[in-house]
Amino acid sequence: MVERFSRIYRALLYTYPRQFRLEFGGEMEQLFRDRCKDVARTNDRMMMLNFIVNSVLDWIKTSVRERAVAAPRGFVNEWIVTILLYLFASTTLVQAYVIPTGSMESNLKVGDHMLVDRTTYAKPGPLGRYVMPYEDVKHGDIVAFLYPKDTHQTFVKRVIGLPGDRIGMVDKQVIRNGSALIEPYTQHIDPEIDPSRDDFPELTVPQDKLFVLGDNRDNSLDSRYWGFVPRENVVGKPLFVYWSYDAPTSDLEHWNVAHLVDVMEHFFTKTRWDRTFLVPR
Amino acid sequence: MHTPLTPPVFHILLALADEERHGYGIMQDVAWQTNDALQLGPGTLYGCLKRMLAAGLVEESAERPDPKMDDGRRRYYRMTTLGRRVVRAEAERLAGAVTAARARRLLAGGKA
Repeated sequence: MVERFSRIYRALLYTYPRQFRLEFGGEMEQLFRDRCKDVARTNDRMMMLNFIVNSVLDWIKTSVRERAVAAPRGFVNEWIVTILLYLFASTTLVQAYVIPTGSMESNLKVGDHMLVDRTTYAKPGPLGRYVMPYEDVKHGDIVAFLYPKDTHQTFVKRVIGLPGDRIGMVDKQVIRNGSALIEPYTQHIDPEIDPSRDDFPELTVPQDKLFVLGDNRDNSLDSRYWGFVPRENVVGKPLFVYWSYDAPTSDLEHWNVAHLVDVMEHFFTKTRWDRTFLVPR
Repeated sequence: MHTPLTPPVFHILLALADEERHGYGIMQDVAWQTNDALQLGPGTLYGCLKRMLAAGLVEESAERPDPKMDDGRRRYYRMTTLGRRVVRAEAERLAGAVTAARARRLLAGGKA
């Protein structure tokens, strides 16, 4: 986790003026990493949250200040650059998503608002590979991806099969490459066996595709129903839940006035405070 | 740099008063001084250090590893004579302000 946060912080350093970054960037990253390690060691959620909020405020405040100091003239230009950089950072590095359905229940609940790290699984470009260490998708990773049947929707599921894997299912039990998979993260809510859902013959995952399943196995629309996820549909790795709010699926999928009023009225009671800063595993 | 100093600058100077420290050492000492009320972020700390270096309040010392940390070399910072004079002047100004506040019975420990 420290590595992931440090990597994002390193990317954020590019919002500082070049001169400042060259002079202090390395030390700033080291300081961030040190503090991050110390905070992670305490295992105190409030402290972690505090650290994240402080770091973001510190970044916004000081990157604006250093830019203003670096270029007292051309102030408007500097602001345009700064705003563009923030837009870039907020859409390229991390993105906010909400979990609208219970398909990952037991791990992620309906109404969990989370930040997704978009750097980790991004295919490295000719330049990017020198800046960002790229990590490939592994068995058991939770990934956010664009739903192949409708790419306007983002789904979050767990990777069960990688290219070349043979995947089958017998009475709710996943068989990967001939052996039964032990899956402590799954949840079964229906004791009955439904062959259309709980059994399928072995199939092989093609090149550049992934086979994904929801943790809430008996109530999840996943690769069993609509097939493989192309590798390029993967957008990122969930980082942590920043806000968990108890609301129905329909309100989370389409924001409406009633939902806004509901949030204003019940913010403190319907927010699941114990889920704040939860890291899905 | 002028008095009154900003709180981060003042506390950074205090942290360097009796020994030279690297960035994380300064951050930890400032947190200790202020009972965790002031957590310097990387941008704030190095933004201040940049201006303090330019104003001659602090200077860079030799780069070396910290025996307490398990990684490579770190850049250490040390207070200059000018820095010492400035932090003393600021501490005296604050002490004067505290005395005045005591006299108006805004703080405990004043004359009854």
